Amino acid sequence: MGILTLLVFSPVIGILAFLFTRNSVDQQRTHVLALMASFVPLLLSILVFVQFQAGNSLTEQVSWITFQVVERTLILNYELAADGFSVVLILLTTVVSLLAILSARWLIDKDVKCFFILMFILEMGILGVFSADNLILFFVFFEITLIPMFFLIGKWGGTDREEAAFRYIIYNGLGSMLLLLAIAVIFVNAGNTNFSVVAEYFSRGEQEGLQLGIAITLLLAFGVKLPIFPLHSWMVKVHVHAPPALVMIHAGVLLKIGAYGLIKFGVAFFPEAFGKLAPVIAILGLINLLYGAFLAFVQDELRAVLAYSSISHMGLILLGVAALNEAGIQGAIFQAVSHGLISALFFLLVGILLVRTQTTRLERLSGLARLTPLLAGFFLAAALAGFGLPGMSGFVSEFTVFIGIFETMPVVGVIGTLGLIMTVVYFLRAILNMTFGSYRNTFGNLKDLNMDEGLSAATLLLCIIGIGVFPNSIALTIQQTLETILMGIGG
Amino acid sequence: MKNIGGYIAVLSSVLAFLLAALVFIQLLDTGTALQEWTWLVIGSTQISFGTLLNPLNGLMLILVAFISLCIHIYSIGYMENDKRLTTFFAYLSLFTAAMLGLVLSPNLLQFYMFWELVGLGSFLLIGFYFYKNRAKQAAKKAFIMTRIGDMGLLIGLILIFWQTGSLQFEAIFTAISGGQVDGGMLTLIGILIFIGAIGKSGQFPLHTWLPDAMEGPTPVSALIHAATMVAAGVYLVAVMYPLYMASTTALIVVAVVGGFTAIYAATIGLVQNDIKQVLAYSTISQLGFMMLAMGTLGYTAGVFHLFTHAFFKALLFLAAGAVIHAVHTQNIKRMGGLHHRLKLTSITFAIGALAISGFPLFSGFFSKEEILSAVWADGQYGLWVIALIAAFLTSLYMFRLYFLVFHGESREPIDQVRPIPFMMKLPMVILTVFAVASGFFNTSWFGSFLGDWLLRESPALAETHHRSSVWVMVAATLVSLGGILLAYMIYIKKQMNQEAWKSSMAGTYNLLTRKYYIDEFYDASFVKGAGWLGRMFVYVERYGVGFLVSFFRELVTTLSKSGSKSQTGQTQTYTAVAFLGMVVFVAVYMMKGGF
Repeated sequence: MGILTLLVFSPVIGILAFLFTRNSVDQQRTHVLALMASFVPLLLSILVFVQFQAGNSLTEQVSWITFQVVERTLILNYELAADGFSVVLILLTTVVSLLAILSARWLIDKDVKCFFILMFILEMGILGVFSADNLILFFVFFEITLIPMFFLIGKWGGTDREEAAFRYIIYNGLGSMLLLLAIAVIFVNAGNTNFSVVAEYFSRGEQEGLQLGIAITLLLAFGVKLPIFPLHSWMVKVHVHAPPALVMIHAGVLLKIGAYGLIKFGVAFFPEAFGKLAPVIAILGLINLLYGAFLAFVQDELRAVLAYSSISHMGLILLGVAALNEAGIQGAIFQAVSHGLISALFFLLVGILLVRTQTTRLERLSGLARLTPLLAGFFLAAALAGFGLPGMSGFVSEFTVFIGIFETMPVVGVIGTLGLIMTVVYFLRAILNMTFGSYRNTFGNLKDLNMDEGLSAATLLLCIIGIGVFPNSIALTIQQTLETILMGIGG
Repeated sequence: MKNIGGYIAVLSSVLAFLLAALVFIQLLDTGTALQEWTWLVIGSTQISFGTLLNPLNGLMLILVAFISLCIHIYSIGYMENDKRLTTFFAYLSLFTAAMLGLVLSPNLLQFYMFWELVGLGSFLLIGFYFYKNRAKQAAKKAFIMTRIGDMGLLIGLILIFWQTGSLQFEAIFTAISGGQVDGGMLTLIGILIFIGAIGKSGQFPLHTWLPDAMEGPTPVSALIHAATMVAAGVYLVAVMYPLYMASTTALIVVAVVGGFTAIYAATIGLVQNDIKQVLAYSTISQLGFMMLAMGTLGYTAGVFHLFTHAFFKALLFLAAGAVIHAVHTQNIKRMGGLHHRLKLTSITFAIGALAISGFPLFSGFFSKEEILSAVWADGQYGLWVIALIAAFLTSLYMFRLYFLVFHGESREPIDQVRPIPFMMKLPMVILTVFAVASGFFNTSWFGSFLGDWLLRESPALAETHHRSSVWVMVAATLVSLGGILLAYMIYIKKQMNQEAWKSSMAGTYNLLTRKYYIDEFYDASFVKGAGWLGRMFVYVERYGVGFLVSFFRELVTTLSKSGSKSQTGQTQTYTAVAFLGMVVFVAVYMMKGGF
């Protein structure tokens, strides 16, 4: 068994552990067990990363189904592979999952076992999505992520959790339908869904109309996940009403599947079709960027600010994709990773804050810096990362995306800078409202971060700063993937 | 030890200063030194990170390190009773480090990165008293206003990258002198980069954050206004000077914005009643002078004024801080007659005021005179007159400030005047020496050391060097003395009623005290506008996107309902559907011959 298979199914250890243990009276033990189990995928993913850096091939293939339809053979294998883009996202997944599971102990207190089982299924699904080497397998894992999310939101969420869960499943179900449609069409045409086979099949440049059709379908399908305006309303609900530990994974990793799919299937398989769609994508990107930013500016709930800021930040990914050049795509990948870390940090902090205040409504929070300077400092640091302060990961992605978009569509770039200004405005408004000003003593004697809260926040912040200071660590990892994608674009 | 954090910070800034001095001494012998490492690979382009040393950098390096050291020492005294002293020094050191990094940048991207970090430093320090609402607003405003300017710089930087294929200063200038970039593009880039400088250096119309930044502790104001932050904008223009020299239009823009800001801020400075506000507007005005010089080919003059201004402005703020420390108010109408109680402060402040007013033989005299020469030599006579009036206003409002604070009678009983600790006095005295002496680095009498130094390795900039004429000097002197004399007549001799014009020219007076209503204008237009747009989007979200939500919900429920209705259990229907399906499949097969 290859290391990728091990990695993808390593969360099963956690699932089994909880299936076969009795409901412990001592919740502490359950939490420790979950934490220990989530170290397994992390260690394996580090191993995968090391293997990848060492240049070892990470491809696994087992023959699965072959069937004859009329006189065509359709081949469906179990095949996993990891390129630079997936390796980075895999690492992101395991790190964020571990911290999410750690942070669950502060807020999740009912049916803890069940919660963790679903979390591990979710993690397995995500790892599968990033390791799959053919579209069908990708789709299977993609669906696996859908179900646990539904229950996790619906059961452990906040006030409006059921509405959030249903909206989630409707939008993502429709998205999946489109994705399945696209995959089926690709399958019957190419006879295989292996990524490289598909890429090669379509690179012959025939069936232009069909290619454009598939590209649009993929854009819509992943547009739900990313999300692209106006398909975003489910995601705002989830951000606000799902438990923060889950949102760490949701905003941190799950939404990145949208970016991953767009770049890895969309741009890489159908470069010409995406070339034609580029102006549309650029405009959608601008809408996301500005619409999200201005809405984030008027929200009075921190989690809603963060939700709209996610929409705004995903606009940058779209702009990078629309640029269709080295810098643009690289920027989009950077933005996916960077936004993953930043939103994970934000929702980790939201969890920490909720334990103390039970609310994230901005008007009720003020002057937190007085009693909880560390918490306030982390919030500020996360905001700085969010609006792309140099030395943090957000800057690298913003800068690279804009370098990219300015080459092909300078006017879009100029309008986009308005979004960069608004990002500062809404982040500072929200964060300073909470941390600065006078403390109104609404919550009594607030305690600052304890050891594990501080350590988990510091871990994420260190990753963010690490990428910001040494961006080449990511750039070199994804370089080859990028070249493969760009070969198709012909740049 | 109570203030251990402070002493660590002071020690490290001593170290920074010593290292800067060492580097500077080495630089005297060797030429430009460049070190680079790869920072980020974008496709086939490599973006590097490193250090660059040349005469301009070397000068700024030692200047920043020196001023920062003085302010670190001063802060030990000024902040001694603050509970968050350690935090304060951490911010202060971060601020200094960012500025030093900016000065050493060999390429525009690294410059931009440290430029933003300087902004972060100032944001943290302005908002140091985070519990005060005004500090919060001021910090936010500083970050946002400068960010607006930064976007200009960012766009300019990206355009340069695509035009020249590099971000490294030397490569950019080579490409420009090689004629790789066409004139219109150069002008555009020059103006965009200047927008960055406008934001950072508090030039009109992005100046409004600078007076508000006075909410920070006074040593911070000194640092922001003297050697870091605001100086960065002028320094940016100086660094990019080869680009500006290639575009006359961009130079004129720089000159006009600078000249206008110089007189605009000076008029506001005339009527402010907060000691720090007056100094803040004087900084804006002096930065305007520097930009004016830059825009009229007075490269040396601009940098020279940046150099002298660093000393006397730091001195003025530190002295003002000492006053505030002693009397616990910033309102000059409540001060008066402090000369006898704060002798040292009064003397140092007076020297600083003389320097900024351009009193003969003080440092500001030489640098301002050089600016006026540059403007005249460039043939911008209109701007020259404006500069002269601004210089007159400068000495008027500075001595209005000095006389109101230190002379006359105490207007309100200030019960206790706290003694000023040694740690605060020491840097004030050191800076006083430089406020007098720093002008002699570049005079037409003793030799232009600074000018020769700056032009040593860039002969291309030599055409910017102007010789001053005697009559410009005379004019500058007269104007400076005139301002001081007028202030003396009004505020000491009381030969003119200082209050009378408030009623006789109420409109003008209000316009000035309200700072030309620029804040109100921005508030009504941009701030309100952004909020309005946001709320409009809320409606789009609620009804437009909300409609989509219910559409999808209906779609799914209708589909599933019709789906369940079709489970009728009637075999005939099922067979009919199945048959229909087969017909469709066969039809497809016949038409397309497979898939």
